[in-house]
Amino acid sequence: MSTVERTHTLTDAVLAELAGIVGPANLLVSDGDVEPYARDATPLFRARPDAVVLPTDTAQVSAVLALATRAGFPVIPRGGGSNLAAMTVAERGGVVMVLTRMNQIREISSDELLAVVQPGVTTAELADAAAAKGLLYAPDPGSRTVSTVAGNVATCAGGLRGLKYGVTRNYVLGLEAVLPTGEVIRTGSRLWKDVAGYDLTRLLTGSEGTLAVITEVTVALLPMPATVGTGVAYFDSLADAGTAVARIIGLGVLPATLEFLDNRCINAVEDSNHLGLDRTAGALLLFGDDGPDTHVATSLDRMAATCDVVGARAVTRARDVVESDALMAARRCSLPALARLAPITMLEDVTVPRPLLARMVDTIDTIAAQHHVVCATFGHAGDGNLHPTIVFDPHDGDARHRAEAAFDKVFHAAMDLGGTITGEHGIGAAKRPWMAARLGEDQLALLRRVKSAFDPAGILNPGKLGS
Amino acid sequence: MTTTLDRIRITSGSGGPRRERDTDPGAAQRGRAEGLTYPGRMATTRGSTDDLGGSAPGPADRAQVLAALREHLPEQAVLTDHDLVQGYRTDRAMFCPAGMPLAVVLARETAHVQHALRVASRFGLPVVPQGARSGLSGAANAIEGGLVVSTEKMTEVLELDVANRFVVTQPGVLNAELSRHVEAAGLFYPPDPSSWEFCSIGGNLGTNSGGLCCVKYGVTADYVLGLEVVLASGEVLRTGRRTVKGVAGYDLTRLFVGSEGTLGIITEATLALRPAARRPRTAAALFASGRAAAEAVAAVVAGGHQPSLLEIMDSTTLRAASDYLRADLPADAAAMLLWQCDTGEGAEAEVRAIGAVVQGCGGEVVEAADQAEADLLLAARRCVLLALERLGTTLIDDVCVPRSRLGELIDGVARIAAERSLVIGVVGHAGDGNMHPTVVFDSRDAEQTAAALASFDDVMALGLELGGTITGEHGVGVLKREWLAREVGPVGLRVHRDLKRALDPAGILNPGKVFSLAD
Ligand SMILES: Cc1cc2nc3c(=O)[nH]c(=O)nc-3n(C[C@H](O)[C@H](O)[C@H](O)COP(=O)(O)OP(=O)(O)OC[C@H]3O[C@@H](n4cnc5c(N)ncnc54)[C@H](O)[C@@H]3O)c2cc1C
Ligand SMILES: Cc1cc2nc3c(=O)[nH]c(=O)nc-3n(C[C@H](O)[C@H](O)[C@H](O)COP(=O)(O)OP(=O)(O)OC[C@H]3O[C@@H](n4cnc5c(N)ncnc54)[C@H](O)[C@@H]3O)c2cc1C
Repeated sequence: MSTVERTHTLTDAVLAELAGIVGPANLLVSDGDVEPYARDATPLFRARPDAVVLPTDTAQVSAVLALATRAGFPVIPRGGGSNLAAMTVAERGGVVMVLTRMNQIREISSDELLAVVQPGVTTAELADAAAAKGLLYAPDPGSRTVSTVAGNVATCAGGLRGLKYGVTRNYVLGLEAVLPTGEVIRTGSRLWKDVAGYDLTRLLTGSEGTLAVITEVTVALLPMPATVGTGVAYFDSLADAGTAVARIIGLGVLPATLEFLDNRCINAVEDSNHLGLDRTAGALLLFGDDGPDTHVATSLDRMAATCDVVGARAVTRARDVVESDALMAARRCSLPALARLAPITMLEDVTVPRPLLARMVDTIDTIAAQHHVVCATFGHAGDGNLHPTIVFDPHDGDARHRAEAAFDKVFHAAMDLGGTITGEHGIGAAKRPWMAARLGEDQLALLRRVKSAFDPAGILNPGKLGS
Repeated sequence: MTTTLDRIRITSGSGGPRRERDTDPGAAQRGRAEGLTYPGRMATTRGSTDDLGGSAPGPADRAQVLAALREHLPEQAVLTDHDLVQGYRTDRAMFCPAGMPLAVVLARETAHVQHALRVASRFGLPVVPQGARSGLSGAANAIEGGLVVSTEKMTEVLELDVANRFVVTQPGVLNAELSRHVEAAGLFYPPDPSSWEFCSIGGNLGTNSGGLCCVKYGVTADYVLGLEVVLASGEVLRTGRRTVKGVAGYDLTRLFVGSEGTLGIITEATLALRPAARRPRTAAALFASGRAAAEAVAAVVAGGHQPSLLEIMDSTTLRAASDYLRADLPADAAAMLLWQCDTGEGAEAEVRAIGAVVQGCGGEVVEAADQAEADLLLAARRCVLLALERLGTTLIDDVCVPRSRLGELIDGVARIAAERSLVIGVVGHAGDGNMHPTVVFDSRDAEQTAAALASFDDVMALGLELGGTITGEHGVGVLKREWLAREVGPVGLRVHRDLKRALDPAGILNPGKVFSLAD
């Protein structure tokens, strides 16, 4: 919840200037129009911005930012608003700048294996357009149908294929971005390799809208793998599933998918989706790979055999793509299924070194019991990234307080195990309180220096990412 | 591979691969004005080094500085002996100014680096971080009256975590040593610059090195999980993580990678590893023209193939390598493509599939009959620069263009060579679009030298024209400073300067490299 003092209101003159820049149709000011932009996908955070602008080209973005620097009001860039760390909440008032009206796919090149898109194109639109040309855009966050490519870049989003394919950072080749002054820069290029100067592309990737507004993105594409195969294994305990994961990775297999659900999660999914999952299992492990047919076949054989050896209760494999998709659905619908359990769903995001996964889940369960909260955990087993999710009813006494206290313990436990407080969802306003513990004051000071090098007036998404 | 190393030593003498240079007192004068002077005699230098970021060393008392350094550094860590210091003045770039440093600090531990930087801060001395000095841009060249802080003696691999697939290493470990170290545990550190036997991890991080594997496995930056960095102030910063994922805060790790020693000195790195790659299958194809070979590369990429290596050599470089290795390489072809696939069971089929595409573009395919033949092909590729160095003075460029425009680049380079009556050998990481057109000339001939320098600029201009970059992997250093300004433009340059000031307010870290601090 925001505790920050609201420090800005816009004058009529500024509003008129904004209308002049983006056109009245792209400026929202009434309560009703602005309300959807007072929140993002983060529960419990809400703040009404003074206005919302929806620019349609880079020149408008530039003019709005130049005005903001001159007049000194905050600008909060926003894509699909699907982030889970209150990154787009206008804690201090100001203008939310929504980039979804810049949504053209400019180019999909099979010669150069790249795509150039405007910031508001959704992840799924990009992936579909690439697929139509036989190409793969690898990063696939669970939110892909709503999240935007620039939002993915600004949060360095991961996804279900991260273990084999990495995260958004690994695919961003170049950016067009507008500095808080309104000046336009181009970083990176269309090239596979480029070391001319500082790596501004990577610096802007994951910067959560605090350094510049991204107005065009060039990403690398891959040849579409010939086939995809998926299997599922049930284990008595998460510890066993963890052992299987460690063994699979120890084999030297780098599978495209290794996802897990704990017992609570299995039951929540089964309640809502009736997929026929084994409700009594301690853990469900989804494993999958893609590539040439022979590769996928051997890769799945080896993973299935490993699960058997470790003592899986049952191991099944999808026979075709349809069955494969059905299995993946169990993972993709975890969050919606949990969300049905109670009015508020707090999804968290910690990462620990891979072999400590089972231990971390045990710790989470202990913490949840101590704080009397309902917590289910699922996540990306292959990269040690867990999503403990607490559901509660805000009217149930101090439920919210207990949930927050539990997560505080969870974050510290992750850091104690050599992990980090966010694997892929970022810091935003929601994780601000833990930032110093994770990074240390010195690094925080350095981040602030980087921030002011870009944004001396402090107008871009102020207060986020520790700025 | 040790023979390769020996050869370098033989050709280069004790102070790096320096050759005869002609006189240009004006250039030396310009250099001295900013604290950079020129080793030996040389025709001309790259770029006017007209500033040192306002941090030109004051008339600091030499004795005072040395005393301050020795206060917390062991005797053998501070070199001042003229002959010894001489060996730390330059990297392997031609035509780049270098000064005589006041002292060379051979750090053995992080605390040594911290102390050196504190002393430098106190006296306002410029500091040049140095690895193994194999760089090709002058980025590691010493600055007159400043300090060199070398991490070449920090040579320990600190931790190898097989389960989590990462290694923690000190920066002085050579790339090949690290590769062998992790290979022994069944793991794979992909970045493999051709200089791997004689370049250090610190330098690889400083330049964001590439290599032969990038077409499939990416560059150094893709493997860096976290760093320990000493900032200009002497403070130690730890960035990044040990986990596979993590997005807390700005990606400072990647900001330091490729910053060519201008933002901090890296004293430890945590690097991600991959499972050991399967033994690759190798094939090559000969072409009647460079253009045809380039078109084959574009076709392979567009065809969705993923070789783990895809390199090109032209007739000049083939011949040079053939002589150098005393091997019988097919030196009558205009160009050769060399590729590998390392997908295990599928590799053979994949190598053949690429062969089919290549053949369709006019290539005459030869598969390596056995491992020895495959090794020879690879050795030929890796030795090109050394082989060319035996033919004269070399000036190696490093442009990278979209892979679909490789043909235009190759034709353009041939045109430039013809226009300027020069020999320009073309070799490169074709699969990345990253080419190293290398001029071979006689540096005693002033006219040829001038033409060589002009052609170097022509090649960069051509690269930019084709939507490329002036440097795919070697970095900017002093060699390409003016060209960086051109590539990133005035606003981009200002952002660089602002960032530099944010991290190094006094401008003591490798000032004047990559870009000048003054407008
Ligand atoms: C059901 C669900 C599943 C999810 N699954 C995943 C997952 O698997 N992996 C994962 O990593 N995340 C996941 N997320 C989180 C979220 O979807 C990602 O963080 C996503 O990248 C946000 O994109 P967006 O367009 O919605 O950005 P927003 O939420 O609008 O903004 C996110 C941040 O990016 C900045 N930003 C947006 N556009 C720009 C721009 N043009 N220029 C500069 N800054 C900009 C904003 O200021 C903000 O700081 C999930 C969320 C939900 C609700
Ligand atoms: C024959 C030959 C072949 C080559 N092939 C390739 C190739 O295929 N790909 C490629 O990318 N490069 C290649 N290079 C260039 C060179 O080897 C690389 O740039 C290499 O990474 C430099 O490493 P080094 O240890 O020698 O660093 P140095 O040359 O000593 O320094 C390079 C830069 O890194 C900085 N630096 C060094 N150590 C540190 C540190 N600890 N902390 C911070 N900054 C530091 C220096 O200040 C300097 O800016 C080649 C060079 C030669 C001579």
